[in-house]
Amino acid sequence: MATLLTEVNSVLGIEIGTINTRAVLFDVVEESYQFIAAGIAPTTCGEPQFDAMPGVISAIQKLQDITGRFLLDLNQKLIIPSHGGVEGVDKLLLTLSYGPDLDVATFGLLNDISLEAANRLARTAPVRIVDCFGINDRRSFQHQMDALLKARPNVLIFAGGSDRGATKSIMRMAQWIASALQIIPAEDRPKFLYCGNRSMSRRVKELMEKVTSVQITNNIRPEIETEDLNQASLDLSQLIVKEKIDNTNGLERIATYCSDKPMLTGNAMQRVVRFLGKQYDPAHGVLSIDLGSAHTTVAYATSTKSSFFSLPIGSGFGLENALKQSRIADFEKWLPEVLPESQVATYLWQKTLFPASLPVTQDDLNIELALAHHLIIMAMRELENRQELRSRNFEPILVGGSALTHTATPWQTLMALLNGIQPVGITPLVMDKHGILSLLGAAGRTNSLMPVQVLESTAFINLATVVTVHSKARPGTAILNARLQTQSGKVVETTLEQGNMARLPLAFGESGLLFLDPLKKIMIADIEIGKEPIRVKGGVCGLVFDARGRPLLLPADGELRRNLFWKWSNQITE
Amino acid sequence: MQYPVTQINPHVKFRRNRILPISGTVLVRVGQKVSPSEILAESSVPTRHILIDVFRALALKNMMEAEKVINRQVGELLETHDIIAETGGLFSRVIRTPMPGKVVSIKNGQVLLEVESRKVVVQSGLNGQVVEILQDRGAVVETSGTLIQGVWGNGAIGYGPFVTDPAGIEKELTSAALNITARGAVVAASWCESEESLLMAAELPLGGLILGSMSPRLIPYALKQNFPVILLEGFGRIPINEEAKLALLENMQREISLNAQKRDPYSGTHPEISISLPEESAPEKTSCELQTGQKVRVHTSTQTGQTGVLTALNPGKTSLPNGIKTDSASILFKNNEKAIVPLSNFDIIQVEN
Repeated sequence: MATLLTEVNSVLGIEIGTINTRAVLFDVVEESYQFIAAGIAPTTCGEPQFDAMPGVISAIQKLQDITGRFLLDLNQKLIIPSHGGVEGVDKLLLTLSYGPDLDVATFGLLNDISLEAANRLARTAPVRIVDCFGINDRRSFQHQMDALLKARPNVLIFAGGSDRGATKSIMRMAQWIASALQIIPAEDRPKFLYCGNRSMSRRVKELMEKVTSVQITNNIRPEIETEDLNQASLDLSQLIVKEKIDNTNGLERIATYCSDKPMLTGNAMQRVVRFLGKQYDPAHGVLSIDLGSAHTTVAYATSTKSSFFSLPIGSGFGLENALKQSRIADFEKWLPEVLPESQVATYLWQKTLFPASLPVTQDDLNIELALAHHLIIMAMRELENRQELRSRNFEPILVGGSALTHTATPWQTLMALLNGIQPVGITPLVMDKHGILSLLGAAGRTNSLMPVQVLESTAFINLATVVTVHSKARPGTAILNARLQTQSGKVVETTLEQGNMARLPLAFGESGLLFLDPLKKIMIADIEIGKEPIRVKGGVCGLVFDARGRPLLLPADGELRRNLFWKWSNQITE
Repeated sequence: MQYPVTQINPHVKFRRNRILPISGTVLVRVGQKVSPSEILAESSVPTRHILIDVFRALALKNMMEAEKVINRQVGELLETHDIIAETGGLFSRVIRTPMPGKVVSIKNGQVLLEVESRKVVVQSGLNGQVVEILQDRGAVVETSGTLIQGVWGNGAIGYGPFVTDPAGIEKELTSAALNITARGAVVAASWCESEESLLMAAELPLGGLILGSMSPRLIPYALKQNFPVILLEGFGRIPINEEAKLALLENMQREISLNAQKRDPYSGTHPEISISLPEESAPEKTSCELQTGQKVRVHTSTQTGQTGVLTALNPGKTSLPNGIKTDSASILFKNNEKAIVPLSNFDIIQVEN
């Protein structure tokens, strides 16, 4: 029998993705919140039904079938609040990633400062930046106006001025935006988000309200040296959520049942990562990568700062964008078998037409895994470009998206993550198999207990703990003896060679003590390698050692490269 | 659970909404017969403006003074050298329009002229009859006949007589196969792998091109063409599926309309081939439950482009050759081969009305 921790016990989370809708049930078991089960059904927001409701009901019905708990009444209405803890739920949450990207135009004063900050803010949401305007724009006023009218954005983001900074330039720019908007028919005008100098908020609002709907948020650059996107990102996401609710049948009905405002999946995910960033070792960062069908979302946080962005590249709906930014060779180089370039290109382009399709043959699966490798590399490149990444020393790395959590085997996912992210130090890799990370973020707004307790449970699957060993020894030289003593007292050993990988068995849920005996001069990030053992946690793939070097350099010769892939794959699966 | 039905239907009655992206003028009326290229509604989008700063140009003391000397109203159409502002007095100074335009705003001593605009139109895309007017936005067109939905289109609209014979529709499109008799006509072929063939088709030019598939390398070439290109199966070397082939060949020499609009799952638009026929048909069914006996077409992996009949919805999860476990169905293909195909890898192409 569930024990009442707060007035809310059972929580149903709905995540409406581009391909699938998930219904996830959390409840109190033995005095703490636990993930109970998830039901998945195809999203029905698009053709042929153009209504989110059937997909949501179908996902809840699947959840009912799994749990045996009635969540819907005879009229298929959600039972909320619950009846005696056996029927229905106490709380409903909704996160959204479905829907076409909105077009955004950004405005700022200085290109390198406020305009760049406005662009970074825009990239925290699933939007397309269609044009950018700064005071140093070389285009004439007329050309800028023509460009804005041509771009026809849905949202304008205006940043500029620190809180005690520029005022005249802000008003001048606001005036030209207002003039330009007046030319557009009232019903087609974009919404306006102001995130500049707070002392100008009232005047900007008064001016812009005459022409369009206005949202004022925190200054994203309150001081010249400080950038804070958090509140503005949430406000931008709420603006986008509203747009999605207005333009997708059924969402309004679901939202009325929700105990809290629906959130964008990415923002909800970031909330959890920021929380985790404060809990873990401040020297390391927490990294989360969600490889979705339409977007690849990355959140990174340390105890003091965080970074978050959503790239319009993905394994299905976002694949066309990924292909346009890449060469086929970028995917091909990760294939473990020789496949003609035309076969790779044809498979990937066909997938752009049928984003929900599944790979059937081993060749198809290899291409999809090569795609996953490249998407992770693109995401990491973007994270590095932001210059907020202290190092690739992460603890932990959380990974989501069905391309990695459902399509691939744990070993394939592990290799894609190691090759794509190339972490250093000792890194726990954690898989969000049930797609619950964002729902925990959404829950955390009003119930901080639930995400904490579920994160500590077995709802997330530890894929492996990876020890990355750096050495300048020649390839093939033995560099480290590693001995693992498991909780049960079992002792296993391995010798790691430079350029290779190795594995020791340590099951998911188990922990052990790792004794390292260097045979050559080695480094494991900032870890002091001495006589003291290191406590490590097990995973589906066990404890994995990676001595392939950073950055990972692959031979240009295809055959040599493929041989290496086979060798490494055998070393971690043996 | 409702699944979308891809129309490969020789006899069907269907309606299509044709809508402008912005408000405009509707040019047709209910009951009017329309051809594929007929413009149903049009609008104008301003593309170029010039700003005339009266305050600065005349070196006036304040904005009030500037507003006084501007003797034009918003909405006025001006010709080149028309006077916009005039100081008056003995030594009057004037500002004239540098080119024809429309006054769209007068503010802060500045006059904004719209000097160029682009026409935006929405075409019918099919032979049919207007059955409803969508105020200021467009119209609904209805027709009966053959409807075949494609999976990729290059964005163009066109029409012409369908001239491909049963032998030609089985072959690859080569430049040698395109001769002067194909000028203005709609041609179908199994696939296309060379840009020369597309360039030859453009030189004639064709009225439209229907392909089973094409090399993804040709996407940029196909997008540049003014005539419509529609792929029925996708990318690679996949011939036109049997059902579509039969439906096309039934309509030899008939006028065929191609609306090669981009496929958009969010809005539900598909590239479409339509042939208006005089007889009445049953209305289009756009979705249905998955059931045995339905005609389906595989779109991914080894059997891509093959059509068959759904013989069973398999219980539980099926293990695919690569180890993935998923929901699947059994399909009996036309050549009597059977296969187990993931539910996400085929579409329903025909249902009993």
